[in-house]
Amino acid sequence: MQKPKEQFTDNDFLVGLLNGKNDVLSALYKKYYNVVLKFILYNSGTAASAQDIYQETIIVLFESVKKPGFELKCQLQTYIFSIAKRLWLKELKKNGKTFLFKEVEENKIVDVTEDLKDYDEIEANIEKMNKSLIVLGEPCSELIKDFYINKLSMEQIAEKFGYTNADNAKTQKYKCLQRLKKFFFDK
Amino acid sequence: MSTLDLFDNYINGNLGPDEKSEFEIVLKTDEFIANAFFEHVHLIKTLNQAQLRSNFKQTLTKIHHKEIGSDLNIISINREETFFKKYTKTIVLAASSAFIAVMITLFILSTGGYLSKKQSNQITDLNRVGLERKSKSQLNIKDIKSKAPEIFYSAATVEGSAFALNNKGYIITSFHMVNGADSIFIENDQINRACTKIVFTDAKLDLAILKIVNSELVVKWKVPFSIKEKNSDVGEKVFTLGYPRNEMVYGDGSLSSLSGYSNNKSMYQISIPVNPGNSGGPLLDEKANIIGVIRGKISGEEGTGFAIKSIEILKAISELESDSLKQELMSQNKRNHNINNLKRSEQIKLINPYVFNVLVYKKD
Repeated sequence: MQKPKEQFTDNDFLVGLLNGKNDVLSALYKKYYNVVLKFILYNSGTAASAQDIYQETIIVLFESVKKPGFELKCQLQTYIFSIAKRLWLKELKKNGKTFLFKEVEENKIVDVTEDLKDYDEIEANIEKMNKSLIVLGEPCSELIKDFYINKLSMEQIAEKFGYTNADNAKTQKYKCLQRLKKFFFDK
Repeated sequence: MSTLDLFDNYINGNLGPDEKSEFEIVLKTDEFIANAFFEHVHLIKTLNQAQLRSNFKQTLTKIHHKEIGSDLNIISINREETFFKKYTKTIVLAASSAFIAVMITLFILSTGGYLSKKQSNQITDLNRVGLERKSKSQLNIKDIKSKAPEIFYSAATVEGSAFALNNKGYIITSFHMVNGADSIFIENDQINRACTKIVFTDAKLDLAILKIVNSELVVKWKVPFSIKEKNSDVGEKVFTLGYPRNEMVYGDGSLSSLSGYSNNKSMYQISIPVNPGNSGGPLLDEKANIIGVIRGKISGEEGTGFAIKSIEILKAISELESDSLKQELMSQNKRNHNINNLKRSEQIKLINPYVFNVLVYKKD
């Protein structure tokens, strides 16, 4: 039987997150949203920026939990708040604001530097990738995604893009990928 | 098999045991192939990470809409008791025909920005449908190469102007703009964007006083002007600053009459062309004293505006029942006396940080 939502422990949340349980994710999302919202509203943010920062926070959490050897050394709320605070500080700095933080409550902080470093690195790569894909244009961009993300076969790709056979599609994919590499690695 | 196929097949586990171990030996011995391979892996990994994050974010946004709902309903505003008291009084007052006449004929200048630019003086739609706005600081960034994702704030229901009452973070604006608001933000280049709450309203005067929620934002405030405690004279040169557009706009003229529309003694008539979005802005005299709050104009008559007299504002504050709030609001600024004799452009530089664009979010 399903436990009532309020009774998820920190561990239930993490296990549910790892196993892709949407109801657990919903409960988790709802449970800690207000802590982050309040903090951001009190520090010259809006509900909309709170939503962005909170979602980014949950992504950091999700990706950290997936790492082998992840261990939560504090309460989940402390962890989530620490990430959100760091992300918001970064956002304010990006907008050229030096800032005195107004603490909302006795929110404890833990060091999340490593988790954020990994997140930022990947985010920087993703931005570079998205830009490269735009420069690459269509149909190349879609073809690459179909092969490497959607795992279509060369036959399926040939049919979808109207190439006469799989070999032609493969040649096309090769050309597209070489160009993508050129943009992505700035060659 | 081409090198690329070899890479892909190795990643996908499609190589036979012999091919696999052969490839692994190549990776250890051929630095050139190894580099190309790790580059390839990095590229493919990034492609997939981008997809994963994008999918996960979509899931979160769905959850957000289901569990949290729309952004605008979240912030509750603490209306003080006085609001209800004053408002009830107003309903009674509104019954008088004279008052209704004023309400109907006066244009409520609460809407500014994009529409007013397009429509020039033909104002038909007072509740403008806002456009998505970029945050101010982002607008100033000319360098589009910046990798930062752009932040878009959702569009406000109503926009107008406001200005600082004193160094404690109290802000004066028009009641008709903030009436029924879910959340109210103020913006300018100095403060960027700040959340405010209503602390006092007077519907009859069309006056609202807000407070910036985050007190840290105002610790360095030195409001250079003060509220004039006497009436000004007809013929005095006056000016206003406001946000009829996304940028601050200056307007000047003179004080034309000591009463407003249909002899309303609580207002001045001024010869400054005011536009939607000017509502709630300050009216200043030559010495940069606040002498009023821009209220509205007569429909069809350009070049004429009305402003609530500063003395009426002070009177309303002095009638407050809450002593602590009264004390807070009455706390006047150390007036910067140098401002008196400065050139207008220099005065504006000092005043500028304390005039704001108001963004009001309402339900529906």
